[in-house]
Amino acid sequence: MSITNKAAIVGIGDTPTDRLGSKPGEPRKSSAEYLAWAMRLALEDAGLSLKDFQGQGLGVTIPTAYPQPFWPEEVSEILGITPGFLLGGATGGAGAVSLLGGMSAAINSGLIDLALVIGAAAPFSEHWGGGIQPGDMRDWEIPYGTMGPNSKIAMVMRRHMHQYGTTLDHLGKIAVAGRYHASLNPLGYLRKPITVDDYKNSRLVADPVRLLDCVMPANGGKAYILASPERAKTLRKKPIYLKGFGERSNPSYGPRAGSDALIMGVKDAGKVAMEMAGVKHKDINFLELYDDYIIVVYLQIEDLGFCEKGDLKFFENTDFTFKGQLPIQTGGGIINCGQPSTAGGVHHILEGVRQLRGEGGDRQVPNAKIGLISGLGVLPYGKNLGCCAVAILGNEV
Amino acid sequence: MTIMAELDVSKPLPAITTEAKPFWDAAAQQKLIIQRCKDCNAWVWTPRPSCNECGSEKVEWTPMSGKGEVYSFTVIRQVVGRAASKAFEPDIPYVIAWVDLDEGPRLITNIIGCPVENVKLGMKVSVQFEKASEKVWLPKFKPA
Repeated sequence: MSITNKAAIVGIGDTPTDRLGSKPGEPRKSSAEYLAWAMRLALEDAGLSLKDFQGQGLGVTIPTAYPQPFWPEEVSEILGITPGFLLGGATGGAGAVSLLGGMSAAINSGLIDLALVIGAAAPFSEHWGGGIQPGDMRDWEIPYGTMGPNSKIAMVMRRHMHQYGTTLDHLGKIAVAGRYHASLNPLGYLRKPITVDDYKNSRLVADPVRLLDCVMPANGGKAYILASPERAKTLRKKPIYLKGFGERSNPSYGPRAGSDALIMGVKDAGKVAMEMAGVKHKDINFLELYDDYIIVVYLQIEDLGFCEKGDLKFFENTDFTFKGQLPIQTGGGIINCGQPSTAGGVHHILEGVRQLRGEGGDRQVPNAKIGLISGLGVLPYGKNLGCCAVAILGNEV
Repeated sequence: MTIMAELDVSKPLPAITTEAKPFWDAAAQQKLIIQRCKDCNAWVWTPRPSCNECGSEKVEWTPMSGKGEVYSFTVIRQVVGRAASKAFEPDIPYVIAWVDLDEGPRLITNIIGCPVENVKLGMKVSVQFEKASEKVWLPKFKPA
């Protein structure tokens, strides 16, 4: 099973993010406006027009708070597309990477030869409400007073610190590297460099999770365009090929009723993706890891096999900046660039494409040929993240 | 002019689903029961119509010891998010924990009966039911 080099990213669109619209009188945009904006940027980047997408693929990330089950169709109408193949990204923040696999498979099958994948949300200017849906969260979590994902990731973080001796210095190093890269990224939102002390002294949100551990919600839109290799050759930008893809949803390491909550599904998704791509750890020039929390980035580095679980020395000795041995979060991640709900997952793909095109500007990873991108979604009851997708991108066939 | 009712700030209750009804019935009698698969012996939690390890529909409610230990926890010091969260404000600070029962299954619960500063990972705890409504008694845990 392989879809290596069967589809390439040929265009990207990334709107600036903002947090406007929650106060009276503040300028505000709707998610429809961010969608249209992101699509226009991606079309311009690829040198394509709207008519090229009629009868082709459209993938839409489904925002978490949006209770409308037909959202992907509505996005088709907002954008003016009549897709021949419509997919909703239903794996939460992993949706953008899941759709990269799904659309590439559709292209490989001959069903389509072009696809737009897009996501947007405007949580500060639109209030969708949305009640509590049936499921574990309603029946087994909220009655105890859990306060969203912070409560659960706090338990993951505390357990890791307890089991492996991980300290705020180890975790702070990840936060500092991400912010440093955001300071060099014109699309960064939080751009003032920080120190490990700034991280340690930030406000406690859900003990031991601090403010600088957490992703920053924002308004924004993000898109990318995929094409068959034949079609890609006719377009203006250097094609960035999908080399490998792996996904694991509802992963469990141990009994499902009480598994190891410190192991993430990227362990298997990453293995599948790397084997498909035919790459080893040393071949990977940078990582763009889904970052809803700092501890989640940390766990992924372990579970992707860049070090043994609990190898604190590795984190102490590795330079994670774009000039270092293992560059991560080269655009700053969504912790620093903002998370427009599940569309945040597109950020990591777009930054990976920029690096592989050589468009990384002041934060360009030297000689970047292969990058690993991850997407994550959902914090289920009693476990680590529930949807994990990994893609390997490369700039050579 | 109609005076708007105050926002409902009662604590959210679980829905008593078909799968979960035996659990809540037992809990109202201070008994902790969890499903176990008769074919593969796996614990099934949260309540399911079938075993999510082997697919067997022979799952059986089984009495538990009510003893376990804290796998991890957090202290809630601030309510955020949905309106119903406000109902928990008087309880602050309180502990949300993952408790691993001695038999295996992991529960999200509260640790009660001790100051939040006393809660530690690995701490031995035992179940204590707290009445949330006529039909719902929530299993919470106190130091053993």
